[in-house]
Amino acid sequence: MKENTAIGIKDLHKQFGDQKVLDGINLDIERGKITVIIGKSGGGKSVLLKHLIGLVKPDKGEIWVDGLDIVKLNEKELNETRKKFGMLFQEAALFDSMNVYDNVAFPLREHTKLSEKAIERAVEEKLKRVGLLAFGEKMSSELSGGMRKRVGLARALIMDPDIVLFDEPTSALDPVISVTIEDLIRETQTHFQKTYVVISHDILGMFRIADKVAMLSNGRIVAEGSPNEVRRSNNEMVQEFMRAVKMPALSGGNYA
Amino acid sequence: MFENLLQRIISPVENIFREFGSIGLMFYQSIYWMFRRPFKFDYILKQMEFVGLNSVLVVVITGVFTGMVLALQSYHGFRKFGSEGLVGMTVALSITRELGPVLTALMVTGRAGSAMAAELGTMRVTEQIDALMVMALNPIKYLVAPRIIASFIMLPLLTIIADFVGIVGGYIVGVKLLGINEGAYINKTIQYLDLDDIYNGLIKAAVFGVILSVVSCYKGFYTSGGAEGVGRATTEAVVVSSVSILISDYVLTSIMF
Amino acid sequence: MHRQQNISTEMKVGILVVVGIIILFYMSFRVGKFGVFREGGYDLVVFFDNASGLDPKTPVQIAGVEIGKVKSIQLEGYRAKVNLLIKDKIKIPLDSKIAVKAQGVLGDKYIEVKPGGDKKYFDHGGTIKDVITTPDFDQIFATVNRAAKNFGDTLDEFSGIIGPKEKENIKKSLDNIQTVSNDFKEVIRVNKENITLVVKNASVISGKLGSIVNDVEQGKGTLGLLVKDETLYNDAKETVAALKTISTDIEQGKGSLGKLAKDDALYNDARDTVKNIKDITAGIQKGEGSFGKFTKDEGMYNEAQKTMKKIQKGADGLTEMTPITILGTIIGTFF
Repeated sequence: MKENTAIGIKDLHKQFGDQKVLDGINLDIERGKITVIIGKSGGGKSVLLKHLIGLVKPDKGEIWVDGLDIVKLNEKELNETRKKFGMLFQEAALFDSMNVYDNVAFPLREHTKLSEKAIERAVEEKLKRVGLLAFGEKMSSELSGGMRKRVGLARALIMDPDIVLFDEPTSALDPVISVTIEDLIRETQTHFQKTYVVISHDILGMFRIADKVAMLSNGRIVAEGSPNEVRRSNNEMVQEFMRAVKMPALSGGNYA
Repeated sequence: MFENLLQRIISPVENIFREFGSIGLMFYQSIYWMFRRPFKFDYILKQMEFVGLNSVLVVVITGVFTGMVLALQSYHGFRKFGSEGLVGMTVALSITRELGPVLTALMVTGRAGSAMAAELGTMRVTEQIDALMVMALNPIKYLVAPRIIASFIMLPLLTIIADFVGIVGGYIVGVKLLGINEGAYINKTIQYLDLDDIYNGLIKAAVFGVILSVVSCYKGFYTSGGAEGVGRATTEAVVVSSVSILISDYVLTSIMF
Repeated sequence: MHRQQNISTEMKVGILVVVGIIILFYMSFRVGKFGVFREGGYDLVVFFDNASGLDPKTPVQIAGVEIGKVKSIQLEGYRAKVNLLIKDKIKIPLDSKIAVKAQGVLGDKYIEVKPGGDKKYFDHGGTIKDVITTPDFDQIFATVNRAAKNFGDTLDEFSGIIGPKEKENIKKSLDNIQTVSNDFKEVIRVNKENITLVVKNASVISGKLGSIVNDVEQGKGTLGLLVKDETLYNDAKETVAALKTISTDIEQGKGSLGKLAKDDALYNDARDTVKNIKDITAGIQKGEGSFGKFTKDEGMYNEAQKTMKKIQKGADGLTEMTPITILGTIIGTFF
């Protein structure tokens, strides 16, 4: 495993019933970069992401994080590894029973012995970064989808994790909000210099922010590299994807 | 064809065993996590409020009217033998031994058990449970164990309230409305009602509390299939809890009395 | 999860818990048998032939006041060994009697101690030997049943008296009667119904009376338990007197048919008697009867016996009578 690899995935297999969701994934996720995994909806992207944090156990394969194969860890050891992670869920997964402030403060309260004062400072810092400092008292049900994602991001970052996972961060959002979320991801990554793993089917949006792109198709990584390398790949799936999102203005009319 | 048929016979049985196993496993994990630091007292307290306090009104109403109707019914029976004084005893024994614990448990199942399943189900389908796990927090400890502890403590409390108001309700109907001799009513009640009747009823209630919370949490915790799945889980939680309560009531009764 | 909200949650839950515990304590205190079992006491043993209806915790009373409870019941030999727990402050004299009683027909069983006058008292573990066996209701009902059966048997015996031989005689008599005048026939025809009724009833009654007398002779005095009704007693007395008159009349008259048929007084007497006896038997069947008094009254008993003898004699006389008595004729037409 290379020195700058944050997560090393080796020959990962997962099957639900008769359906092979992951069929031999091999992927190294680079430290301190944004890696975007692109694939069709229902193509196993979320399953792959959940493997990275031990929510799903693979049928076969290895996932190396900081020199440990998390597949083989027991619950307690796994939880130690999980503390290095933050995750933004598809629907943000904010706790309904708490307001915004408590949601963000929750991991700190549970895992650290910080004073309420210190917690307040940390929470306010993160809420300010996602632009929701004034919304601390709101319940999550009172927030719009975009705001929920921003709170989710603040919560994912609160423990200063080494690795942040994003599950479809821009799905179900309108284009304008999507762009602000993308910018927020880029901006926070630039600021904190952590490893980000994003899965998405929004190829255009993600190409804007990705350092590295991996294309997932039929349970395999069919293309990987910088956005430009992937864009120029002659893999059939990649081409299909590119054609599907082709818009004259954005693609510069090259394919007219 | 034949294999298909065999499969159709075997798989439901298999599912039942699997479900029992999963429920048992969840109960075991809950017990395990109950005694691991840090203790989540604020979570338990919140659930105690939800399971206990918010059920008080419905339990009181159930208890009072059960006691009243018991008095009314048994009065007509005992009057034929001229032993109306036994009405008090009948009301007190029926309520403390059976109806207090069982009706309380059923009401709490309907109110709190369904809510547990719906809450946990929603948390499951909106990935809040996954979020907890990603935060390296055990959802059983944070979500299930407090509910079980709260139910285990609150069910006996609610039951003793139901017992009391039920007996008072029976007294009001028997003595005040039907004019049964007050002395006979009270003395027969005290003579025939044993501490064991009350305590065994409370033990039952505690067991019912565990059953309804474990089953409801299980159904909610393993919800799948979005909002529709949550609805299904809620219904199943109430049905399975209620049936389990009634079955275990028979078992407990045959052991205790 | 606000601090302030938390405090109020704690308060609310706390109040609920306290209320629950107060209720539990209150009920435990009210219900708790802070009596014998808490205070302690001493053990007494008593053996019953039949301990059905007794349970642990069945009360033990003196004069209706609870002094203890049944602690346990075991079988020892083939008798029920009942351990009693008696309050310490209650002293039971050595010559006390003990009995199982019931509060009314459907009531619960309890144990009644009838204290004696002895100055020495039972110690812990003592055995009360003087057990009064009170007949339970099952036994009483069995006795009543037996008595009723005896009624029936006696009735059968009585009808047996009119055997084939007697019937033959009566037939002969009837042949004779056919040769008698039209008047006679006419009388019979006119009065037939009434007379048969009278005689039928009379025979039934005397049968029943006979059985009673039998019972009395056999000393089945338990019927006495049933008796309280003064009027029924008097009725019976009158009836016996009336019966006596009738049978005397029959005896004296060796009655020509015409006499009985035309003697309104006798006829009415007979009818009243039948009615009275009917009332009495009905009364007995209802169980309100005064038979106890009736059977225990020595004079009455003798009267009844005498009357019965006379009736029997009358019946015996039937077979010997030529010309036949009206009674014979009528019985013959009927049997």
